[in-house]
Amino acid sequence: MITIKSESELGLMREAGRLLGDTLDQLEAAVRPGITTGEIDQLADKLIRQHGAIPGFLGYNGFPKSLCISVNEEVVHGIPGKREIKDGDLVSLDCGLILDGLWADSGRTVMVGNVSDEAKRLVEVTRESLDRGIEQAIPGNRVGDISAAVQRHVEANGFSVVRNFVGHGIGRNMHEEPQVPNFGVAGAGPLLRPGYALAIEPMVNAGSHEVQMLPDRWTIITADGRLSAYFEHTVLITDDGPVVATAA
Amino acid sequence: MACAMAPEEKVVVFGTIVEPLPNAIFRVSLENGHKILAHGSGSVRSTHLRLLAGDRVKIEVAPHDPTRGRIVERLK
Repeated sequence: MITIKSESELGLMREAGRLLGDTLDQLEAAVRPGITTGEIDQLADKLIRQHGAIPGFLGYNGFPKSLCISVNEEVVHGIPGKREIKDGDLVSLDCGLILDGLWADSGRTVMVGNVSDEAKRLVEVTRESLDRGIEQAIPGNRVGDISAAVQRHVEANGFSVVRNFVGHGIGRNMHEEPQVPNFGVAGAGPLLRPGYALAIEPMVNAGSHEVQMLPDRWTIITADGRLSAYFEHTVLITDDGPVVATAA
Repeated sequence: MACAMAPEEKVVVFGTIVEPLPNAIFRVSLENGHKILAHGSGSVRSTHLRLLAGDRVKIEVAPHDPTRGRIVERLK
């Protein structure tokens, strides 16, 4: 069942989203060569709690940290730890928080220092593909319209979208229906109605779309070891068009 | 945090074998009039069932590719 959020719930999700957008801005500014992923996680945890919100990822299905950090060939769900960020890294930050019972989920890939031209293009195309998806998040469209718009932009640029992981509905839980794949057929899937909230999150690989899970049971890497990028926003479907709750 | 893709639900349909093709593939005419290609599932093969033209069969079809299926059972 896809839940329709009330006006007050949508208001709270905007509030939660704004906090998360601010948090991610500060985290992005902190990402530099020499910092460890564990230190970025501690900062995330502190900022979220300072805002009076709850770090949603901490303990979610047993995830041990407040932030997912996935570097270079890591796609999503990397666990922060002792790894040191280096010049030229692609660092994907993925964060979720709960404010008054409502979730916001968002993330972005940060380019550290001198990254390769391919990495720059990958990050740019991934960011654009999220925008293409968000444009389709309007009442009367279907989930497949979002999926197809993302896929079209990514594949037109010679990259591939991850199949095994998808975006999702969001609200009083992080993962709600419907699933929001980054691949699909325009016009297919559930109809979008005002009051829906979706986490749209293209995960884009430079090479093949195939991924693998590391033995830590969380970290997802590209099967061919090539780079991956990711952007995510929590988007509210309204009569006035898509509202990006997690915009900074 | 991304959500793991749920496995696709299979659609179960019924049909009649029109002709056996090489490589244990069969052309099957479905009750809705569509013709699809189907191969025998493991259990259908291992019980040494001879699937012949005219047999009624139960088929699973993946929603993303409705032109192919797997025969899961021969119906009597």
